[in-house]
Amino acid sequence: MDVADVEATRAAPELRRAEVPTLTAWSSGLAAIWLREIRRSLRDRGQFIGGVSRPLLWVIILGVGLNPYFRGEIYGEVRFVVPYTYLQYIFPAVIALNIMYTSVQSAVSVIWDREFGFLREVLVSPLPRWLVLLGKVLGGTTVAMIHGAIVLALARFANVPITLTKLVGGVGVMFLLAFSLTCVGVVIANRLRSFEGFGVFSNAVILPLYFTSASIFPLDPALTRAQTRVVYPEWLVTVVEWNPITYAVDSLRGIFIGFNQFDPRYGPIVLAAAAVVFFALALRDFRRA
Amino acid sequence: MSFEVRDARESMVVVSEVSKRYGRTVALDGVSLEVAHGERYALLGPNGAGKTTLIHIICTIHPADSGTVTVGGWEVHKQPRRARQALGVVFQEPSLDTRLTVAENLEFHGQVFGVPRQLRRRRINDLLELVELADRRDKLVSSLSKGMQRRLEIARALVHDARVLVLDEPTVGLDAQTRARMWDYIAEVQRRHELTVLVTTHYIEEVDDCDKVCIIDHGKVLAVDTPAALKSAHGRTLVKVTARDEAAAGKLLETYPGSSVTAGQVVLPVDSTAAVTEILRTHSDEMEAMTVESPTLESVFLSLTGRAIRDPSVEAEQGGRRGVRGRG
Repeated sequence: MDVADVEATRAAPELRRAEVPTLTAWSSGLAAIWLREIRRSLRDRGQFIGGVSRPLLWVIILGVGLNPYFRGEIYGEVRFVVPYTYLQYIFPAVIALNIMYTSVQSAVSVIWDREFGFLREVLVSPLPRWLVLLGKVLGGTTVAMIHGAIVLALARFANVPITLTKLVGGVGVMFLLAFSLTCVGVVIANRLRSFEGFGVFSNAVILPLYFTSASIFPLDPALTRAQTRVVYPEWLVTVVEWNPITYAVDSLRGIFIGFNQFDPRYGPIVLAAAAVVFFALALRDFRRA
Repeated sequence: MSFEVRDARESMVVVSEVSKRYGRTVALDGVSLEVAHGERYALLGPNGAGKTTLIHIICTIHPADSGTVTVGGWEVHKQPRRARQALGVVFQEPSLDTRLTVAENLEFHGQVFGVPRQLRRRRINDLLELVELADRRDKLVSSLSKGMQRRLEIARALVHDARVLVLDEPTVGLDAQTRARMWDYIAEVQRRHELTVLVTTHYIEEVDDCDKVCIIDHGKVLAVDTPAALKSAHGRTLVKVTARDEAAAGKLLETYPGSSVTAGQVVLPVDSTAAVTEILRTHSDEMEAMTVESPTLESVFLSLTGRAIRDPSVEAEQGGRRGVRGRG
């Protein structure tokens, strides 16, 4: 580099005006943070292996294994609990599962940044905190949606035909679910000091939420509420009904196989509310960090 | 995104009456200082003197309990985002993303500071040349040595149009050779970018080339001046004598109050050249060798604080802690 180059770099007068960070500057900052999260995740081979092996395990082993048991025989009469095979039934739930894992795990970068000092680099930047958090959350959301989409590769195997309409609706629900859960991950990460603690904690949150979201067993929609409570213990029904993931899974199922156990309007409403609430909580924590 | 100095003639960094306490510990006690445009200003003090706390306040990371700080005319408390545009910061602890490449780290910084794409590309190329990392631009940061990482951090701080480069202990954890090189890089970027540099260190030998040195201890400013002025005001000439035997050493110690034994040598502080001649004349039979050391900042610090800047026990502790961090 010679002196003339330096002069050219430094002198460009139109670039030396004092400006408050503008919309352009903010969007370029947001893009940078978003891209960084994605790059980091895609370079993390462990996360990718998890994202591929999890759906294989759940669809091919659990799905295929339990498929024959998804119909009941009562007094010689074969009766399907729901008019779908078990593979079709759990397929949308596995999408949700993959998203759950990836979005919560992506918040581990919050701990990483704090422990390894990168947080400071962001804190002395002219970007406002909420924008930094938004970039991070959107990055985690994107990665989680990619992992959710990996499951779609098994659609043909599970006998779930994919159309463009299904895809558009599905991506919408996946986005809301991934966004909310990434915020949940940030909230958890801000309360934990170590990576190990985060791993244990995230499993302790993800799996119970997943199992109680009517993901692997249906609450028979043909039964009345009273009958449901006879078939299943009351506490379980209550937990399922209060679990927000239930409505995300129900939405995905409605979109991909056309089966809803609840009012189809609930899903988007619950998810949108969760996205707003958890982002606000995450922001409150992140501002204090 | 660029930055305008409100008035180029005024001081780039003005700290006035800044205090900060953590619980009961007073980290900073009414610190005031001014860093003029284009100056290289060193904050010198032992570990725990309050240097990093002051840097954090200047860099808008922590608020001061009282007092004000302005950077380039912007008050950091009221307009932190403007002040941040003016600042390029290299923290004591590394703050690179080791999973990104060299170029990606610089790109990230430029984007976050809103540097337009073309200018960003050009600056990144120039800076990589400057810190001699151009051949590693697509390597992951985790594959770089500590010295290279530090250089990269200096480059990163300048991707936006920083006017004040703040370096907190830039040479800590580096070997002696790399440390010397690091100062060459700092001098070079300062010259090319017409920067004001504010640097902290507890390595006393590193501040001799700075324009101003501010000696800080226990959260208070003890003295501020050019290294030469500090030496002539507070420094003392030291005569170091290798005595012929124990008895001779004892005799020297007895004759000159204030003398001490360091590393097998008798060290005698003196005030004038005449005194040196006097020692040589009267004790030449008792000594094997004698060296005369003109005033150093080490002796300035000693006479201002009554102790050496580097307490060996503190050093050892620091080294240990750092080792643990480094592995993480």
